[in-house]
Amino acid sequence: MNNSRRTLFLIEVAIFSALALVLDLIPFLKFQLWAQGGSVSFAMIPVFIIAYRWGVKGGLLSGFLFGIMQVVVGTAYILTPLQGFIEYGLAFTVLGVAGIFAKQVKDALEAKQSGKFFTYLTLGVFIGSFLRFLAHLYAGVVFFAEYAPEGQPVWLYSTLYNGSYMLPAFVLSTIVIGFLFLKQPRTLLSIKD
Amino acid sequence: MNHALIIGQYVPSNSVIHRLDPRTKIAIIFFFVIFVFFANTLTSYAVLTLFAVGTAVATKIKLPYILKGLTPVWFLIVFTFVLHLVVTKEGEVLFRILSYPIYSGAVEQGIAISLRFFLLILVTSLLTLTTTPIEITDAIETLLNPLKKIKFPVHELALMMSISLRFIPTLMQETEKISKAQASRGVDFRTGPMKDRIQAIVPLLVPLFVSAFKRAEELAMAMEARGYQGGEGRTKLRELRIEKIDILAFITFGIVLIGLFLTRA
Repeated sequence: MNNSRRTLFLIEVAIFSALALVLDLIPFLKFQLWAQGGSVSFAMIPVFIIAYRWGVKGGLLSGFLFGIMQVVVGTAYILTPLQGFIEYGLAFTVLGVAGIFAKQVKDALEAKQSGKFFTYLTLGVFIGSFLRFLAHLYAGVVFFAEYAPEGQPVWLYSTLYNGSYMLPAFVLSTIVIGFLFLKQPRTLLSIKD
Repeated sequence: MNHALIIGQYVPSNSVIHRLDPRTKIAIIFFFVIFVFFANTLTSYAVLTLFAVGTAVATKIKLPYILKGLTPVWFLIVFTFVLHLVVTKEGEVLFRILSYPIYSGAVEQGIAISLRFFLLILVTSLLTLTTTPIEITDAIETLLNPLKKIKFPVHELALMMSISLRFIPTLMQETEKISKAQASRGVDFRTGPMKDRIQAIVPLLVPLFVSAFKRAEELAMAMEARGYQGGEGRTKLRELRIEKIDILAFITFGIVLIGLFLTRA
C-alpha cells in the first residue's frame, strides 16, 4: 500500500469504527431485547462496509477497534478477564472475516450481476455474524461456568440469548448494506485494488 | 472541555482518583480483576469490598452516577443469586419457601458470587467514570509499546483510536441533524412496529455513511498535506508521567493484596 492509500485506510477504519459505536449508542437506532446488552442494532454495518471495501484486513481491524472502543468509552461489561477478552477483543474482530468475499462482491456489483452480488454479500455477512455469535456463545458458557451452579444447560441458555439478537441483526445488516451498495455503488467501488 | 465532547461514562472532577495516571489505574484494575477470584472467606471479601468502596468514595462522584453505570447488571446479579438459591444443595436446610428447601451453602455461594460480580463491575466502571477515553487511549498505547518489537502497529492503533474518539461526537451530531431533517418531513423513528421503524431508519443511514466517507477522505488529504508519514519520530501532545500519588496508589493496593492473602483460607 502506498503512503496516501495507507493514510486513507487508517482514517476510514477509524471513522467507521466510530460510526459503529455511534449506532450502538443512539437509543432510537436500536431495538432493546434484554436488560444487559444484547440489543438489535445497526452497529455491525460499518464494520461490514469496511470489510467489503478494504478486504479482511480492514474488516478485522475495524471490528477490533469497535470492540476496544466500547471498553474505552465504558459501555462494555467485563465480568471475567477471559469473558472480556472474548466478547470485546475477539467477537467484534471476527465480523471482519466477511471481507473474504470483498472481491466477488465488488466484481458482481461492477458487472451488475445482482444475483451473484446478493449471494456473496449475504454469505459474507452471515459468516461474520456467525463467528461473532460463536464468540458470544462461548463467552456465555465460560461466564456461566464461573457464576452459575453446576448442572445447568448453559449451552442452551447461551444459544437462545445470543441467537435472539444476532439473527435479526444479521438480517438487518444484509438488507441495509445491500441497499447502500446498490444505491451508492461508489461507497464500495471507489477503492481499487 | 466542550460539553458535547464528553462521551460515555466519564464524570469530570479533580479527585485523587481522577488525577492518577491512567496506566496506574489500568494496572491496578487488571490485577484486581484477577485477585477477586482469590477471595474465599468473609473477611477476604470484606477487604476487597472495603478497597472498592473506598476507591469509589475517593472519586467524589455522586452515588447515583456510579449506580447508573451498574443498572444493566443488577439483573444479572440478582439472577445468579436466585439461581444459586434454587439449584445449589449443600449444607443444611436453612428454611423453606413454599416447601422448597433453601440450603445454607446456596445462600453462602449466592452471596459470594453476587458480591464478586458487583466488585468487578464497580471497579471496572470506576475506570471509565474517572478517566477520559483519550487518557485511556494514551495509556493503552504506552502499555502496548513492547509489542512494537513483534511489528504490532501500536502507533497506528492508538492514532485510529484517537481519531475514532474525536469523531464520535461529530457523527452523533450528524446523525441527529439528519434524523431531524427526516422527522420534519414526517418520518417517525421512535414508535410503530419494527418493520416501519427499520424502513424509516434506512434512509437515515445511507446519507450518514456517505458523509462519513467524505469526512475520511478530507481528513486523509489534510494529514497528507501536513506531511503525515506514520509513527516514526512523531512527538506527543500529552505526555504521561508517573507521580507520587501513583506510587502511593500502588502501595495502597499492595497492602490490600497482603490483607487479602492473610485473610483467605
